[in-house]
Amino acid sequence: MSLAQKYPNEVNQIMAKYPPEHKRSAVMPLLYLAQREEGYVTKDALKDIAQMLDITETDVASIVGFYSLYHDHKAGKYRMQVCTDLPCALRGADKFLADLCGNLGIQVGETTADGLITIEAVTCLAACDKAPMFQTQGPDGIKYHENMTVDKTLELIEALKSAGKEVK
Amino acid sequence: MTKQLTLTIDGVQVTVPEGTLVVDAAKMAGIDIPVFCYHPKMEPAGNCRMCLVEVGRPVIDRATGQAVMENGQPKIQFMPKLETACTNTVSEGMVVLTQTEKVTEGRKGTLEFLLTSHPLDCPICDKGGECPLQNLTVEHGPGKSRFLYDEKQHLAKHVPLGELIWLDRERCIQCARCIRFQDEIVGEAVLGFEARGRMTQIISLSEPGFDSVFSGNTSDICPVGALTTADFRFGARPWELKASASICSQCPVGCNTTFNTRREAKAGGEIVIKRVMPRQNEEVNEIWMCDKGRFAYHYAESAQRLVKPTVRQAKASWTDAFDLVTQTFEASKSDVVVLASGRLSNEDLFNLKSLADGLGGKSILYTDMGGGNLTAQVGVGQGTDLGKLGKGDTILVVASDLYEEAPVWYLRVKQAADRGATLIVANSRHTKLERFARYAIRYANGDEVKTVADLQGDSKIAQEFANAQNAVVFFGSDGLGLNGSANLAAACAKLLQDTKHVGKANNGLIGVWQRANDQGAWEMGFRPEADLASAFKNKIVYIVGADPAGDDPALALALKGARFIVVQDILETLTTHMADVVLPAQAYTEREGTYTSGERRVQRFYAAVPVHGEAKADFAIAGEIGRRLGLNTENGSAMVTFDRLAASVKDFAGLDTNKLAEVKPQWPIVGRGDLYYGGTTYENKQGLGVQLSTAAERGEAVSLPEVRAESALRPREDQLLAVPVTKLYDRGQTVASTELLTQRIGEPTVSLHPETAKRLGVAAGGRVSLAFNGLSAEALVKIDDTISAGVVLVPRSMGLAVREPVSVQVLGLAEAKVS
Amino acid sequence: MRVIEPVWELGRGLARTFASLFEKPVTVQYPEEKREVRPRFRGRHVLKRYENGLEKCIGCSLCAAACPADAIFVEASENTDENRFSPGERYASTYEINMLRCIYCGFCEDACPTEAIVLGDNYELSFTDRRQAIYPKEMLLEPVPDAAMTTPRKVEPGVYQRSVPEMKDPQD
Repeated sequence: MSLAQKYPNEVNQIMAKYPPEHKRSAVMPLLYLAQREEGYVTKDALKDIAQMLDITETDVASIVGFYSLYHDHKAGKYRMQVCTDLPCALRGADKFLADLCGNLGIQVGETTADGLITIEAVTCLAACDKAPMFQTQGPDGIKYHENMTVDKTLELIEALKSAGKEVK
Repeated sequence: MTKQLTLTIDGVQVTVPEGTLVVDAAKMAGIDIPVFCYHPKMEPAGNCRMCLVEVGRPVIDRATGQAVMENGQPKIQFMPKLETACTNTVSEGMVVLTQTEKVTEGRKGTLEFLLTSHPLDCPICDKGGECPLQNLTVEHGPGKSRFLYDEKQHLAKHVPLGELIWLDRERCIQCARCIRFQDEIVGEAVLGFEARGRMTQIISLSEPGFDSVFSGNTSDICPVGALTTADFRFGARPWELKASASICSQCPVGCNTTFNTRREAKAGGEIVIKRVMPRQNEEVNEIWMCDKGRFAYHYAESAQRLVKPTVRQAKASWTDAFDLVTQTFEASKSDVVVLASGRLSNEDLFNLKSLADGLGGKSILYTDMGGGNLTAQVGVGQGTDLGKLGKGDTILVVASDLYEEAPVWYLRVKQAADRGATLIVANSRHTKLERFARYAIRYANGDEVKTVADLQGDSKIAQEFANAQNAVVFFGSDGLGLNGSANLAAACAKLLQDTKHVGKANNGLIGVWQRANDQGAWEMGFRPEADLASAFKNKIVYIVGADPAGDDPALALALKGARFIVVQDILETLTTHMADVVLPAQAYTEREGTYTSGERRVQRFYAAVPVHGEAKADFAIAGEIGRRLGLNTENGSAMVTFDRLAASVKDFAGLDTNKLAEVKPQWPIVGRGDLYYGGTTYENKQGLGVQLSTAAERGEAVSLPEVRAESALRPREDQLLAVPVTKLYDRGQTVASTELLTQRIGEPTVSLHPETAKRLGVAAGGRVSLAFNGLSAEALVKIDDTISAGVVLVPRSMGLAVREPVSVQVLGLAEAKVS
Repeated sequence: MRVIEPVWELGRGLARTFASLFEKPVTVQYPEEKREVRPRFRGRHVLKRYENGLEKCIGCSLCAAACPADAIFVEASENTDENRFSPGERYASTYEINMLRCIYCGFCEDACPTEAIVLGDNYELSFTDRRQAIYPKEMLLEPVPDAAMTTPRKVEPGVYQRSVPEMKDPQD
């Protein structure tokens, strides 16, 4: 099912916001819409958006690739995005990331066996002074976690785990 | 006239037009500022930081608006930091320093950063030896890096962007030249950046990958070895290659090219072409070329090459073959019919025409497109340069899909539209150029002539065309056959004549011919013939550079009616199988000659590789036969033939090899030592060619044929009409011999309107059988909702012999599902 | 005096000749006996292999570019993990040295980025035909100690990605 078929009202609303000659500007809201259900933009949705806005798929994909809030692949319940840009690296983000992955027994980009956490390395989250830091994206929205250590992070993960159980 | 500004760069005073970038101004003054991301053909991006220089501007007193003077000189205020020369435009009195310590330090730092993760595998890199990063590192680099070698990023080195272009992610320095080329110049954004920072990489999601016919150019302008062509990959090192100038023979644009050759063990120690590169000619192809021209040169090395004459299909000596041909021609002089195609050079066609005329026989041009007699009268004037068209000018493209037929013209017309020229695209279907058109006219098949005639009315479009400063009309044979295109040409000629857009530069008619030198064939006096079957009947047929039997079974049948068949070609074809005598000809890569482009520019090409077997040049064979028949035809030198041609063909009067070899300085400056500036395009040292003058230009009377209102066959309610369209990658022998293009050539595919497809019960990708002209064939289906419901688009040279619009019966085939 | 001098000189010469009969001979009974070459002797080329048997030569053609006698001809092709000759993407599919042209200057050794070509200690080159003087890759390549290490061979995918061995510091 195409995006326009799935969410006719939303798509129309978004498209109406932009003048027809600049309809490519609708790409960002459409991408949010596209990843609402699955948590990521599927290949079909990518194609759909490109067609709707008369731009190439590659154009859409590079926008998805640029922002850390768009995703092109499935992930666990929470995405844990660790900033590894230069200033963060200087404050030990690289080591933090490696240790964290070692503790969880996964590689960067992988999801824990229980499907709860996906660790990602991203570029600049604009909190250089509070590195090592990461943001989580999950059912409860986007949250920044600053001045982190591996222990603190593992605690956080435990908390997320138990929170998930309670909801069940 | 734009305002001229004077500035000082490294103490050299230079005066340039307002709006010039500092890097270009320096170039004009002979100072090379190193660049990676900047390219003179594209908008500046400023993302490599290699061009940092010190920029100072005169201090202006705010109260008086005058420059503040100091010791009799204007006081110069330098910016506290280095500025990019590629994004800053010049201003009056500006002072630029490119050799100071600060600048040198800046360059060192930039290179040190660029090399942090560059793999330095120059020994195996195809760019090694002509690599801007390599050259500039040697010239400006730090020599030693402070970064840790262990922390180099290791990325994929073998990523196919498509089957033609490979990406090495490690080598990429994120200059975005390729992305900008596809976006700005071609208008197909099939490349993009993904991710950010150090993880930035190039992606292509199109289907097929890197879906553009200009993809090879990105490898030329790539300042590192990140983009390489599948064709040349590891083929040779650049310094081992010899360069020979040539002209592309694939379409009427006449792109200037360079063949890079090398002796090769794989080819049994022969000298072979390793790659084809563009050669700068700003009035023809600028510094670009299309992938067909770049990759489809392998036919000259094909195993199908004819290497020895045959008489009645048995190998024979040249003497025997010449004897038999001469005797046969001698015996029935006026019964000789010469059928030649625009694949031949001007010299070949001149000698063939002289031969036919000397015998009193007939000379026929093998083509399905008419109108070439008109381009000689109202064609574009001398000095025409599509690159100069812009605001106030109009370009009409009618019945032609330039992207598929003449890609570099598509590029040039698209860019003219970007500069503000009014582009009118008239076709019966959607073509890629339509996106850039101010007016897109869709006519019903059969209304081509009427559409052009309507442009002389009072409509807004008609007014805009009439009032245009300059107007150029491209006409083609999209959906048309010989008669249809001839009628269309007449209508276009009348439109141009009536609106006074003839006889001057940048005005006139251009034919988008099916072969490279069709225009030249028209100039030499060859004319097409609608009814080839009766032209062959009981005649001595001399077929040169054409494969009628292979193109159309009906013509194969017609050839059976001929008394004697002589075929002269470079490759074995169905036609050579029917021949009484086969004469092996040299490919254009093995000999010299000239072509006349669609813009009527005569350009010379040179031999690049040794001759295959016993093959002789076409003009030499025709010349020899002529001599044996007592005609004074030249059989030795192509350029002597050209001199004779110039002496007897009026439009060529005064031309000689010196004129063809004339060059003038071109912008942007390419070649020289600075490969980083314009890419690896070759500098043109062998001649820019000469454009022929038109009758209208010389003030001669122009006699245009009457425009015939009765038009081509139209689709009827109860029947489908098959119309021919041109595909860039077809199964023509010159293309199909290139294995690399097999995937792009694909299966024969016809386009149907969705309704038609529904009625036939087929979907996109399904199969249909076609019955027309007593033939039947199968093809895949593509759905195109822009064509009319009664029409089936049939690609030319794909094994479906639709040469004229013809009624067709289409049946949907139920296909076993491929699991 | 006039008579004595020549006789004296003659006698001196003959004495020297006679004395040399008892000296140790300097000639070597080649080919039965072969003399050790000097450590920096430049003889016939050898194309080296890595310890795992892969060819060091990556077909970069820099030796051919450096060669002042134009004696080397290299043609490269693409490696795959299924059919691997050398590490990295490129290998020499043709490698020929014309021993008649070679002047044994050793520039090829200097130019080689992988230390693949080495001038060995073999100086026994003889031909009866000019064609024989062209040594193909099979003759130049070092033999493998073990048949399993021969090239081309199938290797584990993705292991041999680097064509030029990584150097900690190029100036070392």
